[in-house]
Amino acid sequence: MLRQWMAGLTFALSVMLSAAFSVAPMVAPAQEANAPGSEAEAPATAPATDKPRPGTLEDILRRQQGLKLDPERLLRRPAPPAPIPLPPQLGTLGRQSDADLWRALKSGAYARPSSDTASGKLMQTAGEEWRRLRREVILKYAPWLPAGVLGLLVLFYLIRGRIRIRGGRSGRTIPRFSMSHRIAHWFLASVFILMAISGLMILIGRPVLLPLLGHEVHSVLLSAALQGHNLFGPVFILALLIAIVRFMRGNFFQWADVKWILRGGGMLGVHAPAHHYNFGEKTWYWIVVFVGLGMAATGLLLEFPWLVETLLYHQLATILHALGAVVMIAVALGHIYIGSIGMEGALDSMLKGEVDENWAREHHDLWYEQVTGKKAVHGGGGDDTPPPAAAAEQT
Amino acid sequence: MGLVEFIEGPAFWFALAVFVAGALWRFVGIIRIGHKPDLAPPKGSAGWGWIRGNLRHFFPRGLFAERTWMHVLGGYAFHLGLFAVMFFAAPHVDFIRERLIGVGWPALPRWGFIIAAEIAFAGLIVLWVRRFSDPVMRLISDWDDHVGSWLTFLVMLTGCLALERAHVSLRALHMGLVELWLIYFPFSRLMHAFTFMLSRGATGASYGRKGMTL
Repeated sequence: MLRQWMAGLTFALSVMLSAAFSVAPMVAPAQEANAPGSEAEAPATAPATDKPRPGTLEDILRRQQGLKLDPERLLRRPAPPAPIPLPPQLGTLGRQSDADLWRALKSGAYARPSSDTASGKLMQTAGEEWRRLRREVILKYAPWLPAGVLGLLVLFYLIRGRIRIRGGRSGRTIPRFSMSHRIAHWFLASVFILMAISGLMILIGRPVLLPLLGHEVHSVLLSAALQGHNLFGPVFILALLIAIVRFMRGNFFQWADVKWILRGGGMLGVHAPAHHYNFGEKTWYWIVVFVGLGMAATGLLLEFPWLVETLLYHQLATILHALGAVVMIAVALGHIYIGSIGMEGALDSMLKGEVDENWAREHHDLWYEQVTGKKAVHGGGGDDTPPPAAAAEQT
Repeated sequence: MGLVEFIEGPAFWFALAVFVAGALWRFVGIIRIGHKPDLAPPKGSAGWGWIRGNLRHFFPRGLFAERTWMHVLGGYAFHLGLFAVMFFAAPHVDFIRERLIGVGWPALPRWGFIIAAEIAFAGLIVLWVRRFSDPVMRLISDWDDHVGSWLTFLVMLTGCLALERAHVSLRALHMGLVELWLIYFPFSRLMHAFTFMLSRGATGASYGRKGMTL
């Protein structure tokens, strides 16, 4: 277990280091292509070219100090990173063995590439850490997050049951979501479900589905899932952007949200105040915004790998995409639960666009007061007993 | 004969025959209904009205455009995307040339197909969501509308899932659903693909004869 987390830590560290020094590998792999094996092939500095090179820290400091920069030096490409010299490969009878060669390559030694497009770095050892992190940590533990949330929801439902509207439905409704809100919501929801199902099949198909279905059926399903996932990815981005814009108003955190948290969202037996959206809904919105956009960015990188040449970023994208996916699916399960079977009257807002007055007063009292101009009166506790006003209306 | 051969052979020809015969039967049936003789002297051209009626309905009026822009956009996205995918996807062009009429035409490149399919999917989902979200649409929609939407969605989806052309079973699944769609088409509201011209034209002709401008 410790070894797996160490693998993850090593990979994350290597990604951060790579990002910190990302200028060098992203400039041109060809610069690194020297010193494959001998002094003659590994000059200390690469021959200068006429192509412009990026500024260095020295250039920036000189510019800040108002000193003149050497234009000729600026036009030249930077010296390549000092190569790790490879031992001459003399075979098993020589002074150094093959093991030395492989050890040097594993340590990041550069070789002369066989073509202009090839990288001089022959081994990317972070790939091994990435593989171990993906297989031994993510594939092993990530599916448990949505599964665990599902289990907790079932447990919560069995213990708490459906949250009823205290005093029942009043029969009077208040408009809550416009048609464009509902279309934006369901557009995103339907594409999200397709993406989630196909994505989970891709992510955990090998450990979960393969033993159950066998290679032949699994390969067909996986091929279909991959095509579907790639196809709906851009549609998901479109739906995500529409939803982000449409639902942004009212989703910024307010003082009432602090009270809502302190009162446990109404679960502690005291009423938790809320505007049009409560703290949970706002948090879900910002998860959708940030994690969703992160999923979109990493997904685009995976679908169009030519966008970035550095392999490490692709490896990082697979990890972040998988983690973002399980987080979004897990939270979405909670959202779906509370928006459907978990709470009476909640689904009306997205199906009909209107909610019952008693529901609004109970769960979004500040919004209710703003919309109706009436004072929201609450019952004493967080139970389902009707408040005095509702009880009076019923009789 | 295996299941795949059956789906791609006799079942397809049967479905196509039902589609052609059924669509012709419905189309001719509607034309044969005719209309009651209008004894009033004409104040304009019914023929011109027929054409105007058809063309004018492609553009929503200002008052409605503001309220309905989302589903107008969804409608155009779905129908244009579906048309492009149906007649210009490379596998479809190959199929039409090799199995149906012997001639083909230039197909969309893969990226063009992907974009057309995504536009079509986005449009179809928006239209379907509106169908159950809008109170009026929900009221006037029945099982035929939902079956038509879902069947079309599944045909498009399975077609895209089979895009890699690596598995015969995925292609057979797509073909099977296409056959179901072809058989269902003439007897459902999917027939609006052909009859929209008649309904728009009839309204336009009636107005045109009365001298009204659409």
